Amino acid sequence: MIVVVGSSHDSVATDLVALWPQAALCSAEDLVSSGWVWRQGHAASRTWIVDKKKISDDQVTGVFVRRASVYAEELMTTHPDDRAYLASEIHAFLVFVLAGTSARVVNPINEGAFGEAALRPHRWTQLASQLGIPLRPLRVTSESRRAIRYRTFSVEVVGDEVFGDAPARLRESARCLAQALEIGWGVFVFDSRKRLVTVTTARRPSDAAAVALGRLLEARRT
Amino acid sequence: MILVWGPQTDAPIERVLEALEMRGADVFHIDESDLESLRYDIVFGADCRGWIESRGRQVAIENFRGIYIRPGKPLSGAARKASMVLLAMVSQAQAVLINHPAAGSSNSSKPYQLGLIAQAGFAVPKTLVTTDPVAARAFLHEHGRIIYKSVSGIRSIVASLEMKDEARLEDVRSGPVQLQEYVEGLDVRVHVVGARWFACSVRSSSTDYRHADTMPELCEFDLPENVGERVRALVQSMNLLVAGVDLRVKADESWVCFEVNPSPGFTWYEESTSHQIGEAIVDLLLTNT
Repeated sequence: MIVVVGSSHDSVATDLVALWPQAALCSAEDLVSSGWVWRQGHAASRTWIVDKKKISDDQVTGVFVRRASVYAEELMTTHPDDRAYLASEIHAFLVFVLAGTSARVVNPINEGAFGEAALRPHRWTQLASQLGIPLRPLRVTSESRRAIRYRTFSVEVVGDEVFGDAPARLRESARCLAQALEIGWGVFVFDSRKRLVTVTTARRPSDAAAVALGRLLEARRT
Repeated sequence: MILVWGPQTDAPIERVLEALEMRGADVFHIDESDLESLRYDIVFGADCRGWIESRGRQVAIENFRGIYIRPGKPLSGAARKASMVLLAMVSQAQAVLINHPAAGSSNSSKPYQLGLIAQAGFAVPKTLVTTDPVAARAFLHEHGRIIYKSVSGIRSIVASLEMKDEARLEDVRSGPVQLQEYVEGLDVRVHVVGARWFACSVRSSSTDYRHADTMPELCEFDLPENVGERVRALVQSMNLLVAGVDLRVKADESWVCFEVNPSPGFTWYEESTSHQIGEAIVDLLLTNT
């Protein structure tokens, strides 16, 4: 089965669960439910709670991560005084789970972070430079400054598949960078001068990419 | 120039600032109270260029040769924005950085970090994270005595549970709890600073010596060379330049590693020993040695 780790209030997460056969949502409510068993170094005993049901880790083929954090505001059944602490604890637990599951995780934990937070700019800018992909400079200033609008091209990568109608060179750059970043899915945004603007996983996957993601997550990791 | 970012009231920040002052170093200190009025103009690309300005002093980013950071509590508004910009800036600056923010993040999930420690070849305590009382009770029965502590990097008081406390394990239903086998032995804290290490034994009557009723006994410890090398390699494998590593040596002289703290409050250990950890950090910042 495919597990989508996300919020029940996130339409992207619920739409993907509806699209993929045998997919289920692991929500914040599930993360605070009784039944989780996760032992360091013992793959056999690992148990998830997904859509209120106990699921053995070996039943999970793929995990799609649709959140970058667990928020205190999601824990409505917890006493307000305890929500911030519990959210930190669940977040830390989720890092442990996503790093330890035998399933394919899209995208995997990187430097202790998941979701969009795992795509730290210092990492993708460094790797892009090493691959010879030019970067669009990003100016960040405390001074008042007029925002500049510019045209962008988006390239989506799922495993080895590339989606979007960007020029071939950008598609190949995106594929190589996804491989270097060791991510299964990402959206790579370029400007009209073919410079990389950003890499993100916060967007809704396109229809074609969502189907490809389903195939990737159904296949057991070898 | 050396950039130091952290509250003036924080003991390690104060210690590093003092040591830098004694060496006559040119220091640019950003206190948490400076963040709200911090000015900056930075261009991020393959590297980062530009300037930051605090208390009327403007410095070009490329002038920073060493950076020591211990940001305080989470902020809001303009201070939070400035803090995010600074984190991005230090992550890309061409300087000795103690420590890279991303490298330190493994400590925000202790069981995840334990996996990294095990991968580096250290023995780690048997660990269960669970919301299942049945599994928690089975773990207690397996070990007889266990300890529980937070899963995240939020500081918690480590406490032990024995068979008589079994009924309390029903409480794990409400959120994940980290349980570990109790490991008998002597606590040893090793501070790694670049290529150097400083070992200190800690004797305490409490399970968590940081929260003991009586002051624990801290002594310099003669760490075997091979263990020191392994600890140093562990810290390097986590891309950290400075860390406080918590170990316990058992009666059979085998070693167990519990945690790697990427932002150690080293002054507490300095006060009870002749260890010059702050000076070693300053050596690293000034000369990268």
